[in-house]
Amino acid sequence: MGSEATVQFDRDIRPILSEHCYACHGPGEQEAGLRLDSAAAAEALLDSGTRAITAGNPHESELIARINASDPDVIMPPPESNKTLSAAAKDLLTRWIASGAAYEQHWSFRPIVRPTVPAGEQPNPIDRFLAQRLATTELPVNATADRPTLIRRLSFALTGLPPTSAEVDRFVADERPDAYELLVDRLLTSPHHGEEMARHWLDQARYADTHGLHLDNERQMWLYRDWVVKAFNDNLPFDQFTIWQLAGDLLPEATVDQQIATGFSRCNVTTSEGGSINDELVFRYAIDRTATMTNAFMGLTGQCAVCHSHKFDPLSQREFYSLYAFFNSAADPGFDGNVLRTTPTLAVPAANQRQQRETLTAEVAQLEGTVDAAIERAFLSVQPPPPAATKWIDEAWPEATVARHGPDARVAWVDRQPAAENATAATGGSRCLEFAAEQPTQTVLLGPGLTMKVPEQATLVLDVKLEPADAPVAVMVQLRSTGWDHGVAWGDWAAVPLVDNREKDKRKALIHADEALTAGKWQRLSIPLSRLGLKPGMPITGVAIAQSRGRACWDNVGLDWPAKPTPTAACNDWWQQQAALADEKLREFPAAIRSLLQQGPKETTDPAAIAKVRRFWATQVWTEQPASVALAAAELEAATKILADLDELVPETLVFNDLPKMRDSFVMERGAYDQPGEKVQRGTPAFLPPLEVAENQNPTRLDLARWLVSGKHPLTPRVAANRLWQQFFGTGLVKTHEDFGLQGEPPSHPALLDWLAAEYRDSGWDTRRLVRLLVTSDAFKRSSVVAPRQLRQDPDNRLLARGPRIRLDAEQIRDQALFVAGLLVPAMGGRGVKPYQPDNIWEPVGFAGSNTRNYYRDSGDSLYRRSLYTFLKRTAPPPFMSNFDAPNREAYCARRERSNTPLQALQLMNDVQHVEAARALAARGLAASATDDADRLAWLFRTVLARRPEPPELVLLTTALNNHRARYQGDATSAKQLIAHGDSVVPTHIPPEELAAWTLLANTILNLDEAVTRN
Amino acid sequence: MQPPLPQPDALRTAMARRAFIGNAGVSLGAAALAGLERRLPAATVAAEQSAPAAGHPRIHPPLPGLPHHTPRAKSVIYIHLNGGPSQLDLWDYKPQLQEFFDKDIPPSVRGEQRLTTMTSGQKRFPVAPSKFRFTQHGESGRWVSELLPYTAGIVDDLALVKTVHTNAINHDPACTFVMTGSEIPGKASLGSWLSYGLGSECDDLPSFVVFTPLPDIPPSQALFTRMWSSGFLPTRHAGVALRGSGDPVLYLRNPAGVSTADRRRMLDTLGSLNAHNLARYQDPEIETRIAQYEMAFRMQASVPELTDLSTETAETLSLYGDDVNKPGSFTHSLLLARRLVERGVRAVQILHRGWDQHGNLPRDLASQCLDTDQATAALVKDLKRRGLLDETLVVWGGEFGRTVYSQGTLTKANYGRDHHPRNFCMWLAGGGAKGGTSYGETDDFSYNVTEHPVHINDFNATILHLMGIDHERFSFKFQGLDQRLTGVEQQRVVTEILS
Repeated sequence: MGSEATVQFDRDIRPILSEHCYACHGPGEQEAGLRLDSAAAAEALLDSGTRAITAGNPHESELIARINASDPDVIMPPPESNKTLSAAAKDLLTRWIASGAAYEQHWSFRPIVRPTVPAGEQPNPIDRFLAQRLATTELPVNATADRPTLIRRLSFALTGLPPTSAEVDRFVADERPDAYELLVDRLLTSPHHGEEMARHWLDQARYADTHGLHLDNERQMWLYRDWVVKAFNDNLPFDQFTIWQLAGDLLPEATVDQQIATGFSRCNVTTSEGGSINDELVFRYAIDRTATMTNAFMGLTGQCAVCHSHKFDPLSQREFYSLYAFFNSAADPGFDGNVLRTTPTLAVPAANQRQQRETLTAEVAQLEGTVDAAIERAFLSVQPPPPAATKWIDEAWPEATVARHGPDARVAWVDRQPAAENATAATGGSRCLEFAAEQPTQTVLLGPGLTMKVPEQATLVLDVKLEPADAPVAVMVQLRSTGWDHGVAWGDWAAVPLVDNREKDKRKALIHADEALTAGKWQRLSIPLSRLGLKPGMPITGVAIAQSRGRACWDNVGLDWPAKPTPTAACNDWWQQQAALADEKLREFPAAIRSLLQQGPKETTDPAAIAKVRRFWATQVWTEQPASVALAAAELEAATKILADLDELVPETLVFNDLPKMRDSFVMERGAYDQPGEKVQRGTPAFLPPLEVAENQNPTRLDLARWLVSGKHPLTPRVAANRLWQQFFGTGLVKTHEDFGLQGEPPSHPALLDWLAAEYRDSGWDTRRLVRLLVTSDAFKRSSVVAPRQLRQDPDNRLLARGPRIRLDAEQIRDQALFVAGLLVPAMGGRGVKPYQPDNIWEPVGFAGSNTRNYYRDSGDSLYRRSLYTFLKRTAPPPFMSNFDAPNREAYCARRERSNTPLQALQLMNDVQHVEAARALAARGLAASATDDADRLAWLFRTVLARRPEPPELVLLTTALNNHRARYQGDATSAKQLIAHGDSVVPTHIPPEELAAWTLLANTILNLDEAVTRN
Repeated sequence: MQPPLPQPDALRTAMARRAFIGNAGVSLGAAALAGLERRLPAATVAAEQSAPAAGHPRIHPPLPGLPHHTPRAKSVIYIHLNGGPSQLDLWDYKPQLQEFFDKDIPPSVRGEQRLTTMTSGQKRFPVAPSKFRFTQHGESGRWVSELLPYTAGIVDDLALVKTVHTNAINHDPACTFVMTGSEIPGKASLGSWLSYGLGSECDDLPSFVVFTPLPDIPPSQALFTRMWSSGFLPTRHAGVALRGSGDPVLYLRNPAGVSTADRRRMLDTLGSLNAHNLARYQDPEIETRIAQYEMAFRMQASVPELTDLSTETAETLSLYGDDVNKPGSFTHSLLLARRLVERGVRAVQILHRGWDQHGNLPRDLASQCLDTDQATAALVKDLKRRGLLDETLVVWGGEFGRTVYSQGTLTKANYGRDHHPRNFCMWLAGGGAKGGTSYGETDDFSYNVTEHPVHINDFNATILHLMGIDHERFSFKFQGLDQRLTGVEQQRVVTEILS
């Protein structure tokens, strides 16, 4: 390619070093301390005392000695690398060192300097750049293609659809000098233009309609797809296109469209597979988003740097994780929940929905007010009973009880000394029970007069005064429920009456209370009944008091229980309890109330929030809800359901947001989610221009997005311009569009690429302007007939001596069939549709629990929508798409293959979609004004191919038609079968035999190589 | 009503009657004709003969320089048991585990390994010994579970590896890993690599064919087309999934109302028109398209011929088992696999689901074995007696193994097992694998490898080696890397299991 005399690092040397040396002596690894990717490192003195490169002197350069060595232990690259240097490569390296071993920065990382447009006759600068290179060859350059070919090529390129015959006629007859440019302008404003442009971007954005992993359930984010179409139809400048998608949510007062656009970073595959690990999923999603951004805008492959510093590109592992840090605080969960709308989402109601929603929301708000008022009234009207108590030993034995005393017990009701302070009904009157014995003893009290149920939160309470001169060392109270199993003792455990005398397991029924006993004064003892194993509602049927030997007075022995709380207090108590629950438990509450509950009553001051929790409690939890509240709540519930059901219908779309609090980011060792290494901050790679951030601010995604389109970035404009070149010419100027790094292929026309990049950037990223520039070039318009010399010297048509001739994409092939058949329904946007699909595409791969396990095809218009709107299930993409190389959208795809397989032939011949289209096309042909076969054949031919058949072609078609006629004349059954495929209406005025013959003929034309090719 | 698929006889008649370019009454450019004649005979003659005449270029040629060395196997049949069959209940015999019933697995054995979140919350990890009886079989004395009575009869043909391990612990990444050498979707699958590198000996069928038979118990696990996708390789190397119901190949059947003769006539016109266009544009893609339409037509005959089992003897049919005539069954798929390699197809993959026994393992694993054991053994026997086993490599295995400790209820009769990527069993038969060998050892709990670990990429490197490919020199440039099936790390061919 280059001249013999000069060796250029970029063109000649870097590819050799990158391919053969950098894996061990590059940015990532430096075996033997040698690094060959910069002059300073390569010329440094090595441990071995030699220098790999001595500029100007190959004989003093160890590199030259090594590559020419024959000893397998010495030769480089080593035999185990399976790489060998060709003689030509060795020669280049030698000459390069001899001429001074000048290094250059990798071409795509250099700043874009707008090249001077070469002098020339051609009006379009693109052609002058191309001509420069063509002039060095002897390739014959093709003339402009004929007009029918041109309009078909242009229509597919700009709208993804063929022209109508009327459009072809008009263009062919258009004698204006700028007829072609006018056609371009017309097509650029077609709404189909945005659809065609969007298709290519959606491959890069990995858009699909399911989550992609495990259950692979449906996911709702078609609003993002529709936004991409709209963005192209509005000719949104590419810098805005970039910023909105990467950081639309961070723009001040972000519009709905700007938020929808962030779906770009939500298109990645997600899972909810049981057994997965949340941190790993979160990590993977962030990696995918980083890699997709890196590739879509910078054309770099980030995946290598997930595990190790890039061996070839200067992107270090640390730098990759600094980019990852921009995406690592995503607000969406690791587990997608297998739901349609994994948060965060944005609801985007249609105009009428918005209005209905406003009305309903106002109604709901009003009803909430009604409920709140009812609650208020109820809360005020409920008078909780005062605190309550019962006394067993107070002034005298209670009525309807019997009391029996143990041996030697001396029991007497006496005056209380000193009298109880504040003697009231609650604290007891003036008397108490004196109880004395020379041995441990007790008093047992039984009878209906004391039988009761354990109240809520009850406490056993008693007053006791021990005679200092003869004080018992322990006292005990036992309560009987169904047995005497609920006792409590105070004092010396060893001296607790009966303890030593009872069976061991009975002792379990006794609690030893902590409070110490003090003699000589009234002492209040208490213990919650719950500690005695008495739950609310259990019966209490007896009481026994006991003491070790000695004398004591007992009073106020009984139960206290608190007043029933007011509704307000009950609500707050409940709230407090919920606030303490674990996250999983809280998840059982509706999302709207979850965070309020979590916050707790003490932390909440917002009256609206308090009202919300109170409303929830009073309507959903309160057991004693009065009818007034229940009725108002019922009305609110009904209105809420109607609103919620409307919201189900309101489309939502997954959007990208950050968590309120940033996650820390680390270099993950070997790319393992659980091996965090060095902590990293958000930042951009050192080999690219610096990121501009407001002082002392943590960089945001918005900063990152703006950095990409700042105008200084060397990659973004080149990658964007190359993507469009690839789209319109079939192959990028950089063929490896997915890789602009050192391992990618250098551009075929570096100056042209830089000029286009500069032109794009400096025009304010005017996409439509650049597209117009591309398709109005002579190169785009040239005839695609291949001269033998062109095929020999430039088989891949990189020099464009001929026009681009490429197979149509999957979507274009199907859309064309529908279009020429008159079946295409041009409606735009909306949920993915399910057209014809063979049986058992989804089912064999589907999970039992998946909502995309069974394919239920649509009917009516949905069968005939543009392929862009076909529902894309990632684990089983539509075969009409994958058969023709459409990616399954599991990962970003920068470039589609163009394969040529027998399965494609079978599809185009036999798929009901295409058979139906052939029949509809045939029916259209028969209904057209033409009357004889030749005219009709020409009509059919031209409707698909835009050109008239040549005489030999017409002969072939006529013969075929007559053969088909002869065959179906004798077989009406077959004829009727052939015309019956598909759901669309079969015209009845055409004899089936005739329509069948024409159908098979139309099927032939739709299967022509020319039909599936953009000539 | 679908018309009958074209049969070979009907096809031959149609072929004889048809008028191809020569007498279509059109004068074509000489260059175009020369081009067609150069390529097309292989395409057209092949339909009438079982193989193209010597010297004709193949439809699926190998890459230049491949195979790297004399291959031991020409074809591979890969039986993938999707879900992770329990090595403990089939191959990795651990009699001493009976004493550990319901005892916790010692922490020293379990170590700090990653668990799935399905069991990481379990308080206990009680050992579940296999409830199945193991007995020794063959001259090799291999211990085999009672669940595999037929396979037990062919152990002397198997090279068993007990210490295969993988990186992934969940199905989706593990399946992607075992088939493409990477957990990340988007890489090329084993069969695609073989098709890409070695082409195919068969011109009438795709070079890589896949079956996805359903087990008796409908499984909950999904399969992923990425397990047989061509990834970054050209799409013609993607596996073609022969389907269990409807047309075995998508869109294979002519639409109702179009007979084989109609299709032939249509293709003649199409071929002539395309040839006319070729004369005009001189684009070699047009030639390829003409050839692919002819291939499609041949497949319309060859695929029905492939699936027509009437030429098989009753003895052969009964060897495979009761389901042999049931399309979509494992048994049917395995007989078709033999017929495919007989016809020179390079790679056949059978992906059988339902091996994910988190609970009710004894009942469900038995059912899975019942569904597969007889046909698996029959395939190896059938290949052997036809002399095909020497040149056909049969591979058996899942994406990971299962834990020794029980998930969920554990009784003597019932238990479940969680995913276990640290060691599991796979076997090779034929195609240069050393029959009767067993390689690698695990600890008493089948929880850790104690001897000779074999990473899944080592295993795949071994498969490539037997197919005549040096895995280190077999790469494709994509995303800035020399992509390999066996990944970027050093892998090793397990020579110890080769004959």
